[in-house]
Amino acid sequence: MNDFAYDVLVVGSGAGGAMAAYELTRQGHKVLLLEAGRNYDPKTETPMFRPNSAAPLMGTSTPDKDFGFYDSTVDGGWQVPNEPYTTAEGSDFLWWRARMLGGRTNHWGRYSLRFSEHDFKGKSRDGLGADWPFTYDDIAPWYDKTEALVGVCGTNTGLDDMPPSSEGVLQPPPPPRVPELLIAAAAKKHGIAAVPMHRAVLTKPLDNRAACFYATPCGYGCSIGAAFQTTTSLLPMAQATGNLQIITDAMVKTVTVDAQGKVTGISYIDKKTATEQQLSAKVVVLAASACESARILLNSKSASHPNGLANSSGQVGRNLMDSTGAGLSALVPALMDRPRYNEDGHTANHLFIPWWGHKAQANKELDFPRGYHFELGGRFGEPGAYVSGNLQGYGTSLKQQVRAHYGSYVSFALRGEMLPNEHCYMDIDPQVTDKWGIPVARFHWQWSKHELKQVEHGLKTAKAILETMGATVGELPAAEDAIRKGGEIIHEVGTTRMGSSSKDSVTNQWGQSWDCPNLFVMDGGVFASNPHKNCTLTIMTLAMRNSAWLAEQLTAGKL
Amino acid sequence: MQKPTLISNQSTAEHGDNLSSVYTNHLSRRDSLKLLAALAASAMLPALAGCEPTPVAKTASGTTSTEHWPELKLQPITAKGYGKDPNLIMPPEAPWPLTLTPAQLSLVALLSDIIVPQEGQSPSASAVQVPSVIDEWVSAPYPSQQRDRLTILSALAWLDDEATLRFSKPFTTLGTTQQLAIIDDIAYDNEQTPKQFQRIAKAFGRLRNLVLAAYFCTPEGIKDIGYLGNVPIAGAYPGPTPEAYSHLNKTLAELGLSDFAYPVS
Repeated sequence: MNDFAYDVLVVGSGAGGAMAAYELTRQGHKVLLLEAGRNYDPKTETPMFRPNSAAPLMGTSTPDKDFGFYDSTVDGGWQVPNEPYTTAEGSDFLWWRARMLGGRTNHWGRYSLRFSEHDFKGKSRDGLGADWPFTYDDIAPWYDKTEALVGVCGTNTGLDDMPPSSEGVLQPPPPPRVPELLIAAAAKKHGIAAVPMHRAVLTKPLDNRAACFYATPCGYGCSIGAAFQTTTSLLPMAQATGNLQIITDAMVKTVTVDAQGKVTGISYIDKKTATEQQLSAKVVVLAASACESARILLNSKSASHPNGLANSSGQVGRNLMDSTGAGLSALVPALMDRPRYNEDGHTANHLFIPWWGHKAQANKELDFPRGYHFELGGRFGEPGAYVSGNLQGYGTSLKQQVRAHYGSYVSFALRGEMLPNEHCYMDIDPQVTDKWGIPVARFHWQWSKHELKQVEHGLKTAKAILETMGATVGELPAAEDAIRKGGEIIHEVGTTRMGSSSKDSVTNQWGQSWDCPNLFVMDGGVFASNPHKNCTLTIMTLAMRNSAWLAEQLTAGKL
Repeated sequence: MQKPTLISNQSTAEHGDNLSSVYTNHLSRRDSLKLLAALAASAMLPALAGCEPTPVAKTASGTTSTEHWPELKLQPITAKGYGKDPNLIMPPEAPWPLTLTPAQLSLVALLSDIIVPQEGQSPSASAVQVPSVIDEWVSAPYPSQQRDRLTILSALAWLDDEATLRFSKPFTTLGTTQQLAIIDDIAYDNEQTPKQFQRIAKAFGRLRNLVLAAYFCTPEGIKDIGYLGNVPIAGAYPGPTPEAYSHLNKTLAELGLSDFAYPVS
């Protein structure tokens, strides 16, 4: 890298890091990007059209491939070999990681819902959690730019939970499937709207990326670039400027500082040679994922930063949030033996149920403060390692039971906003280090009554809609049993939150750390709250906006 | 991985109405999937179907009255898994050693074809290598597969024990009527299931689900169940067919939901 005079070191090639690299290089700044995992090329590595029968164990989930054999995640999942994390006694937490170029964007759900003014100003409304240090109007133009660049299909619904995109930004969504149409009608009877999901999946070609051809689950990755991932879009676009260089297999250990405490660069482990390397830089951007970036900061202790870098507020690692998750599914007898057609579509739900309870919450009719949405399931999916139905007997009558049940189950996946609380945070385990000698993250977790009440409400609502469809649901589980583990929804954010004061936040609204002006965070760590709407679109939007601001500072010679 | 293929010995004189088969290792499963797909394309598939439809006879002959269970002490599988970065384009042919004995595999093949017999244009389970998938499954080193291993090997041992108790012979050497007399007792897991068959009914249910899954994954099974996806579509996704919309509208009417129907253009 001696002949590559870069200004900015970006750590991480996922949603935040790749967007930072894209925006900075586009504006003429040279960027060196470090990725902890191996190089990865979706064009040659994605198992397009591969049937479950060609995979070991019919493609089912295993501890090696937690989301199934064909899931794109490389060297990761709930565990990364030789790179453990720990949980405090009494805490359950799961941490999904990938060790590959593009990070978790290679397999994410592509759900891309905007946060609203309502979402950004929750504390002003109910006194809980923290407000964001900007308004919706400040960020709306950046949502437009990000959606246009990424390619998002969906519609402007006019609902108060879904701020509109500017005219011409969204691509048309695919038409709903039969089970979704049945759920939509049943929900409407309860006064609840189902509408097209917004997804980062192209239904029209964009740049060098093809439109979706409606086959192969997006979680496998997408060789044609229809489903957004940074490895088929932002990274090659940034490389084409000539201003980006990438080092893979580079596991960042610490951010380095000089005697005055000013950030000078980073120290990383070159995994191929297992040696520690130093790189200097004018500016460091951390986008290694919320918990990995916080881990780097907490491990970067020095005389001038004794509690870890950028941590004068004591907030690094605190305010850890995930989305709430719970599910309910049932057999809908009316959907049994229905006419077959190709229901793959873009392989996730075409309709979903956005949060409808703003007015009820404002009127204090609900016993929980923040909203949720339902992602809807149910279709003629590719047969896999499990066959649904209370199957009995054998032979031709058994086969007929299987055919009758196929495509007749529907599911509601609740995803809700949690509030930060003092029991949910990460710190550094004082005893455990990973293979590279880097102290590991330790997680502390406890749901509060806010989340449990919300899940209870969601389960009751889903049951009411299912029963309206003629399903038999039975007794609901208790919320404590139904709620998924912390981290399990893979929306962990908040560990380096932004705010309007250096006293209670780690960065300002530009992701610039209060303590070190040439240190930025551009992943989900900066979230001041965690609205129910899936974090990736907002990670990318903030990374674009804040990199544009950083580019201005660099151009003006201010950093 | 060497995957077994089926050699039917139905015509042997010793067991005239016997469903028993002997499995030996020939074609790999994935090779044979390719072969079957090619043959299906050339419309020769019916000629391949090895087994006649299963006659379902119901007799209660020789029903045992006592509960029994083989308390197997299995060696844990110590093979490695396929790892966290397997080649997804060319999946490993032999991710771990197969462990079923020839006798166990033959019993699995027999049971597979009782569960999924040949039916019209659809081949039987063993004709599309379902027993090989079961062998791969119960031989896998992962925790849930090892739990299934205990369940399924116990079920296989139970069937031989039961056959011996009732008819003084191992299960595969019984006549079809005798085999089905036992299967009829264990293939229904409900409130009427007698106490001595409750545990085996659950174990048989697990095997049944795996056999069905392995069957309906295959190109032939996919055709049978009517999965029409995994094909590229040029242009917009078409959505439901007129027939599917018509069925939906009828369903909405029956549920009293027509007034709430989502607008479809």
